[in-house]
Formats: sequence, structure tokens, C-alpha cells
Amino acid sequence: QQQAANTVEEPLDLIRLSLDERIYVKMRNDRELRGRLHAYDQHLNMILSDVEETVTTIEIDEETYEEIYKSTKRNIPMLFVRGDGVVLVAPPLRVG
Amino acid sequence: MPRILYGVENVLYPNIMEVSHSVRERTIAENSLIILLQGIHGLVTTIDLKNESVIKGRIINVDAFMNIRLTEVVYTDPRGKETKLDDFFVTGRNVRYVHIPDEVNIMKTIETQLQKIHRVRNFGGESRGRKEYLNKKK
Repeated sequence: QQQAANTVEEPLDLIRLSLDERIYVKMRNDRELRGRLHAYDQHLNMILSDVEETVTTIEIDEETYEEIYKSTKRNIPMLFVRGDGVVLVAPPLRVG
Repeated sequence: MPRILYGVENVLYPNIMEVSHSVRERTIAENSLIILLQGIHGLVTTIDLKNESVIKGRIINVDAFMNIRLTEVVYTDPRGKETKLDDFFVTGRNVRYVHIPDEVNIMKTIETQLQKIHRVRNFGGESRGRKEYLNKKK
């Protein structure tokens, strides 16, 4: 039985609703991507454009032992992401 | 398109990516986004690996499991040291990102690759040759 292309039946269909929209992707190793979703497949391999990648690292201050969160950002025009690194896919987070 | 040949180990690779000889790999490629990576052979691309190293080179071949063979490579190790290499193979599981070159038209590349697979599948006519998908019997 064929599912109509506009019904939401399984979790991957929710990602289909975000095609051509900007999305937020949380990845393994404390990375986050924000970009426009052009394509995805069942492995969650994705093609994103106008991507901003954020890598977050935690440094421990040697004297005070407090945790300092540092993030590094970079921009990539068109990116193919291998699906096994993807943890979460969501609409972009709204602040406030 | 002019045929451009890349020199690797004294063997020249033509600038056409052949479709895989394996039925299994063709099916996997056809049903996933790997088909796009198979279409960008020959262009200079940057590949980020999971171990934080970076490969910049020309893709010769990508298989259905994202194993990639490249040439004219500059390999930057996780510490930042660059090495030039003629021939490079990376296992699919080690890939994190592939930077798609700006000049690639994604839809067109995918369609061209799919056409190549369909051409191979239908080779030999409908009544001759081994069929990959037999018609279901009612």
C-alpha cells in the first residue's frame, strides 16, 4: 500500500515537512548545524545549504576548576552530512 | 564533456564514473543520497573525517557504503599537519561531512546518475538478458 506523499505516517515524514526550510541538527561530538534542508534519506544522510556549524568545547580552568564553554562556528555553502553522526533534527530554535 | 584523465599509480582514470557492477550496490545507491556523491567525481572536494582530519582532493570513486577513493590529495591530520598524497582511500564510516562544490547542480547530478543505473538495468532489452527485478507472479 502506498502512503500519500502528504500524510505523516512515520517519524521520517516529519523531516519531510521541513524540506526546503531552515532546520537545526544536533550531531555527535557536541556539534550543531543550522542550515536549509535540501534532501535527506532513510539513514539521515542530509544535504544542507548555507550551513553554520557550531562546535562546543568545555575547558576547565586550572585554578578555579570552573567549566568554560567555548564554541567555534564556521560557515559552509553546501554540505553533505553522513547520517550516523546525526542525533536530532528540529526546526530552528527560537530565542526568548 | 572532454575526457580528462587523472594519473594515479601510472594508471589513468577516465573522467566518467562507471556505475557499480554489483546489483546490490546499485540498489543501495539508488535508494539513498549516496547517489549524489557518486555524481561529483572529478571535482575538488573537501571531506571532513570523524577524527577531525580533513581531505581535499578529487574524488575518483564512491561506492554504496560511502567508501571513497581520491587523488591529488592534501591530507590535513587532526593536529593540522598537511601532507600531499597521490592516492587516498577512506572508509565510509570515517566520513563526517562532504563539502559539495558550489558548481554542482544537485538535482541534475542525481538525475544523471539515476539514468545511468536505469540504462544498465535495461541493457539487453526487455526480453533478453538477466532481469534484476522479476515481475511478481499473481
